[in-house]
Amino acid sequence: MEQQEEVPPPPAGLGLTAEEYAQVRATVEAHHRYAVGPGQCSSLLAQRIHAPPAAVWAVVRRFDCPQVYKHFIRSCVLRPDPHHDDNGNDLRPGRLREVSVISGLPASTSTERLDLLDDAHRVFGFTITGGEHRLRNYRSVTTVSQLDEICTLVLESYIVDVPDGNTEDDTRLFADTVIRLNLQKLKSVSEANANAAAAAAAPPPPPPAAAE
Amino acid sequence: MAAEICREEAAKSMPAAAAGATAIARRRRRVEGFRFAAGSLEPPQEDADAGVARCGKRQRVAGARAGAGAATAGPCRPSAGAEFGSRWWPRYGVTSVFGRRREMEDAVSIRPDFLRGSTSSGKHHFFGVFDGHGCSHVARMCQDRMHELVVDAYKKAVSGKEAAAAAPAWKDVMEKGFARMDDEATIWAKSRTGGEPACRCELQTPARCDHVGSTAVVAVVGPNRVVVANSGDSRAVLCRAGVPVPLSVDHKPDRPDELERIKAAGGRVIYWDGARVLGVLAMSRAIGDGYLKPYVTSEPEVTVTERADDDECLILASDGLWDVVTNEMACEVVRACFRSNGPPSPPGCSRPKAVLPPPAGASGGGGGDAVVKGVDKAESDKACADAALLLAKLAIARRSADNVSVVVVDLRRPVP
Repeated sequence: MEQQEEVPPPPAGLGLTAEEYAQVRATVEAHHRYAVGPGQCSSLLAQRIHAPPAAVWAVVRRFDCPQVYKHFIRSCVLRPDPHHDDNGNDLRPGRLREVSVISGLPASTSTERLDLLDDAHRVFGFTITGGEHRLRNYRSVTTVSQLDEICTLVLESYIVDVPDGNTEDDTRLFADTVIRLNLQKLKSVSEANANAAAAAAAPPPPPPAAAE
Repeated sequence: MAAEICREEAAKSMPAAAAGATAIARRRRRVEGFRFAAGSLEPPQEDADAGVARCGKRQRVAGARAGAGAATAGPCRPSAGAEFGSRWWPRYGVTSVFGRRREMEDAVSIRPDFLRGSTSSGKHHFFGVFDGHGCSHVARMCQDRMHELVVDAYKKAVSGKEAAAAAPAWKDVMEKGFARMDDEATIWAKSRTGGEPACRCELQTPARCDHVGSTAVVAVVGPNRVVVANSGDSRAVLCRAGVPVPLSVDHKPDRPDELERIKAAGGRVIYWDGARVLGVLAMSRAIGDGYLKPYVTSEPEVTVTERADDDECLILASDGLWDVVTNEMACEVVRACFRSNGPPSPPGCSRPKAVLPPPAGASGGGGGDAVVKGVDKAESDKACADAALLLAKLAIARRSADNVSVVVVDLRRPVP
């Protein structure tokens, strides 16, 4: 008990055990802390995924194709990179994407800049720089951490301005709802991809068994 | 370009409507060939009149009443072989336009005499307006299936009862139909088969489309009553003796009873570009939207209204219309169109073939994805078609931000 006092308990609502939080605490301290000023709010969400970290990271890092795991996206187009016309698909910090949102939501477009793409440490970050929506100065970081051989923990955090007329609670509810849905989809997609890969790697069953 | 069209439309629509009302007030004689008096207004648009066919002089049949009249001999006889050329064909008009939305996600279903073969007294006609969001496939599923599911529920409700005694609890029938429709949307979202129509959601792997939904406002018009079932923020309005009578109440998340229901279920409503469930969806009931259940339910509110002699019309429309046009104004527009087209023809008469604007194609303009299904546009009634078109134009002129779908049903009793 005395030893545990030195380790802070996991943040409430994150859904992590103390043991799990201890494993990712360094990641949280390094990538998910924000200097929240007046009129801003911040949040951190977690999602366990039964898939290898590499499989999850392969999906998360697709700045050019977020609809693979994000809801509510109608289309996404990378803006041409004027400084590196040799490879238009090269993902590097500074790249911009134009996201078009499906109907029925309180947003129609979002312009987003890639801030971080660290393949070694599996850290992904972007900032919303424009578009038709109410999330001003939204900045987000997603990290992919290994819990054990077949279990991955994804953490996503953000900081954003609280719009006029809304409370911190309102803003956090809206953003958390969208992120939670996206993380659930990321789980479905990653696990399906991992299962497909495992099935492809497995040897085919012997013919006599199949005949039976 | 869109702004120019809207401004031009505003310039055209408002004086026309105002002048039309004035002209109509001065004339009692029915004017043929124009929606408004010739000479008093600018010439009617060519496309609006193109292809309009006449039955010759309209005849009045003594003693003829809705659902009871005999077919009339002469040029007004229904065409031979017409599947629905029975004694009472619904007089309706329908229009769907994009408005300022990038894609068409509305769908309309009109199924005349859809209970035929069931134990039902008199003919019942199904009208449905479905305003999709997120994608169009839930609205299109409703368009294709809702009437069939209502028929199934109706047959179960009346089975074992004698025809004369069969007065099914329409509330129960509609609730079951809507629940099954919602189940089908959910099943589709989870495990679509290869034969289902493709849509953008399908491009995602694995497909997960539970963030797609649709409103559903459905009306069943029978000889004696109008049944309306509504889930979402489309709307049905009856025009009775010039006064609008709402047959549905929009399911907005901040409607006090809806707000209480959502809170009791553990959800929240916040104002984020209007009142939204969890800040996301601007309606509190819908078909589909699995990710927001149980806060967003598909359970319809059902009204059963006895028909009356002073009933004039029924209007079903998506919120693309109602957000910018009041019930009162909508009724007034329809009444003006009815006055300029004269009294309804007696039953048995073939309808003049009014030409509607072609239904706006679904994204990609693919065939088989018609915005209006169940009827051919040539079968619509001219007065109702004029009214539906004018209402849609009015909504566009008032800069509606959404798709606009309008169905107008003539409920007037023919003059005996």
